[in-house]
Amino acid sequence: MSEPSEKTAAKGEGGKPVPGAPTNVPGGTGTKPPPPAPPPAGKPPAPPKNPGFVTLTIDEREVVVKPGTNMIEAAKQVGSEIPYYCYHPRLTIAANCRMCLVEVSNAPKLVPACQTPVAEGLAVKTKTEVVKDSHRAVLEFLLLNHPVDCAICDQAGECKLQDYYMQHDFQPSRLDDRKVLRHKRKALGPLVVLDQERCILCTRCVRFMNEVAKEPQLGVFGRGSHERIDVFPGSSLDSNYSGNTVDICPVGALLSRDFRFRARAWFLSTSPSVCSGCSRGCSTWIDFFGQETYRYRPRENEQINKSWLCDQGRLSYKYLNRDRVLAPALGRGSDAQEIGAAEAMKWAWGKLEPIARTPKLAVLASPLASNEDLMFSLSFAKEALGASQVYLGGRPPGEADHYLMTSDKNPNRRGLEWIARGLGLATKPFEEVLSAIEAGSVRALYAVGGEIPSHPPAIESLLQRLELLIVQAINPGALSAFADLVLPVSPHSEDEGTFTNLDGITQRFRAAYPSRGASQPHWKWAADLARAAGHAWVPNSAGEVFGETAKRIPELASFDWDGAAPLRQLWPGGGPLPAAADGRPAGYREFGRPRVRGI
Amino acid sequence: MAEPLPPQSAEPYDPNPPESELEARLPAKRMVLNLGPSHPAMHGTVRMKVELEGETIVRADPEIGFLHRGFQKSCENVTWTQCLPYTDRLNYVSALMNNFGFLSAVEKLIGIDIPERAKYIRVIGSELHRIADHLTCVGAIGLELGGFTAFLYGIEARELIIDRTTELTGARLTTSFGRVGGLDRDLPEGWTEKVLKTLDKIAILAGEVDALLTRNRIFVDRMKGTGVITAIDAMDFGFTGPCLRACGVNYDVRKAHPYWVYDQLNFDVPLGENGDNFDRYLMRIEEIKQSERMIRQAFQQIPEGPVIVGDWRIALPPKPEVYGTIEGAMAHFKLIMEGIQVPAGELYHSTEAANGELGWYLVSDGGGRPYKVHVRAPGFAILSGIERMVEGRMLADLIPTFDTINMIGGEVEQ
Repeated sequence: MSEPSEKTAAKGEGGKPVPGAPTNVPGGTGTKPPPPAPPPAGKPPAPPKNPGFVTLTIDEREVVVKPGTNMIEAAKQVGSEIPYYCYHPRLTIAANCRMCLVEVSNAPKLVPACQTPVAEGLAVKTKTEVVKDSHRAVLEFLLLNHPVDCAICDQAGECKLQDYYMQHDFQPSRLDDRKVLRHKRKALGPLVVLDQERCILCTRCVRFMNEVAKEPQLGVFGRGSHERIDVFPGSSLDSNYSGNTVDICPVGALLSRDFRFRARAWFLSTSPSVCSGCSRGCSTWIDFFGQETYRYRPRENEQINKSWLCDQGRLSYKYLNRDRVLAPALGRGSDAQEIGAAEAMKWAWGKLEPIARTPKLAVLASPLASNEDLMFSLSFAKEALGASQVYLGGRPPGEADHYLMTSDKNPNRRGLEWIARGLGLATKPFEEVLSAIEAGSVRALYAVGGEIPSHPPAIESLLQRLELLIVQAINPGALSAFADLVLPVSPHSEDEGTFTNLDGITQRFRAAYPSRGASQPHWKWAADLARAAGHAWVPNSAGEVFGETAKRIPELASFDWDGAAPLRQLWPGGGPLPAAADGRPAGYREFGRPRVRGI
Repeated sequence: MAEPLPPQSAEPYDPNPPESELEARLPAKRMVLNLGPSHPAMHGTVRMKVELEGETIVRADPEIGFLHRGFQKSCENVTWTQCLPYTDRLNYVSALMNNFGFLSAVEKLIGIDIPERAKYIRVIGSELHRIADHLTCVGAIGLELGGFTAFLYGIEARELIIDRTTELTGARLTTSFGRVGGLDRDLPEGWTEKVLKTLDKIAILAGEVDALLTRNRIFVDRMKGTGVITAIDAMDFGFTGPCLRACGVNYDVRKAHPYWVYDQLNFDVPLGENGDNFDRYLMRIEEIKQSERMIRQAFQQIPEGPVIVGDWRIALPPKPEVYGTIEGAMAHFKLIMEGIQVPAGELYHSTEAANGELGWYLVSDGGGRPYKVHVRAPGFAILSGIERMVEGRMLADLIPTFDTINMIGGEVEQ
């Protein structure tokens, strides 16, 4: 993330005023903490208890923090949870929800904890009766015009209004008038729909668009009960980061059009993973139910994506669900027949063995595969098939943007390069294998991954010239259409492993659910082929592959595969609902089809 | 080479050879008899492995587990409220007492007091079901000792209670009645009068059972002096309830640690002397009368008012609030989805159920679901003492003994 900008919402790039933008956008102006009050004259201030730090007491427990630490974060250190809606650690302070009001020793009235600077010797109280009354009053106010929507709201189950109401308010409604009606379903952009009635006007979304996405597309309009979030007239929320506004919305006002009405939050389990949409490798949570991925949510990662995820990556989960190759198929085009895995292996090795260790056989590897997939597949290619070079497959390049999204749409190109180099294989672009086929020097192709970076018109006739084409593919594509043998492959949601992003940061991801159909990860297919070829040792897990092969790859040799795993206790109970003692979320079901039709 | 062994006789050695070859001898070795698991005299499904020497019981080994349902583990997977239907299946003859006992324990763990009216309704429900439980037990004793008539009278009376239970809870056996913090609904219209009439009828029917059995020579012969256990042994085994009081030990949770409104009711705890089957039977006959007394008093004393606490963190909001206000909708949603947030801690709490002290050891980790639920089923301790009660006695004594300890598979095997 770039640093929170001091630029106002009303100014675009270069500080030029955007025509039509109101200048009173709340939260648009990053509110600076007021300068510390000058010490009273005549009495020198006592020296700080811990020089260089600020020492204060929160709920009668002493806490030592760096100057400028947010009071909410300081309170967390001593186990005092201060409730908040508008505060977000990665956004500027707006202090407009009034939920975090606390009692402090240097002010006569309650002050917002998010905005008040920590001061030496300050006594903060977060649980007094006055503070509790204030929580109740604020919640009553926020709920005054809130519609009775929990039953139809996607946010139900992960909604901070529900959480705080049960913790801090739990009183009946005293409203005896009608609620103010506003726009119920306003499509702000391609990915986001807004329910203005549910909005509590915390302006997190406005601040996010201004400060992080740096595309000020949202604003606050109207006054009083008619105040509302909206896009500026004639524009829409079409930023590549619009999905994050849905994540940071503490209530069900901003909803993802992609996820809307597809699942209830409490049915989903979640697993720590890595986005495979581009080479940035943002950390994600995969929210799944049965053997289907329902959405990606960003996972905190200070090094890469902070708390954010781009829309292109957010929607890139769809290939995990739709249009999958699910069984090995033998034969080209319409002659293709499903066969068993053991039979397929026997056939494949029978065809590969005569041409192994000849230049007629080429190997194609996809940077969509995990490091473990590539490690064993390429080791197999080198040792059993005698390959000395590997052609690079993968998705075609696309657009990049100003923040997270890169033009390389493959998550593991760096890992593929490292592994090929470590194993002593030269890497060659995809076009070269096409010209080699055309020249007749390559007659057989073993493809680890069915994606290809370019699709020249002649590719079909070229592929038809091949005597043997074995493709391991997640989804059907140009390669699998002409393959003699297609093997179904598990994507990263179905097996554990690592990806190395473009900056060389390697991240572990965990399997969310078991592999669909007969699909297996690439390393497992390679292991089955190796077994068919009579190899004595084959790995049984991705971890075994890494442990065996990583020592030959200098860049990965020091990677702590077990230690880098996302915390076990966050999984699978990292779901939106509080988990039981053993970490299972409410309604957790490990496998099986949904019991309720339509979710 | 060693000497050839003397030829072995085909017959085993007999120290008392029959005087005449015409004399038929019972085999001298012990016989193992399996009573149950499917046997009309084995309540529920329990297997009794009895080792006999002639007709004398040398060992009696009850084997339980045929009705094991994983009650305790199941409770850890559901919210505190969702445990309630599981408690129905413990002592299924008197489900209300399990419901209310569990709820009392959870309320104590939370640290809340329930409305007075709810306490009275809980006493009324519990005592009704105590009568039902005792009627079943007494009727079954008659049945298994050959007196079918007594059983029919007992069951006729019990059926009346089940009808009242249905009107109160909507279910004949699996009541799932009550909620943490009180009750989910008040007494139905006209129910009080019906119960009072039912009590009159039960008094007549229970009197018939009493008249048929208590002075019946065959019955008394088989009950008196059989299945004896001393007070010391009974306490050592952990007996509670009528089986302990039949030995003369004055322990009743309702008197020793009064809960709900038992301290405001006037009732006696009957005590036996001999600790035999007949005393255990008499305890139940007398407790039916005492329960009737308590119910009548409770109906006179019961105040008007709410039946559940008004705290929306514990009790579901009224339906108009749920459907009409966001506050009610949220409270309802959170209570249903996440359960009542019971503060972290552990406790043991017990109530006097029909067969004795029904104890609950609960542990909460502060979440909406139990961390641990352990039930001290009164029948479990009593069943473990059955060998002491029947060893050295006749096989025929086992049947009335097994009847009077009133083992209920649902709670013993959980």
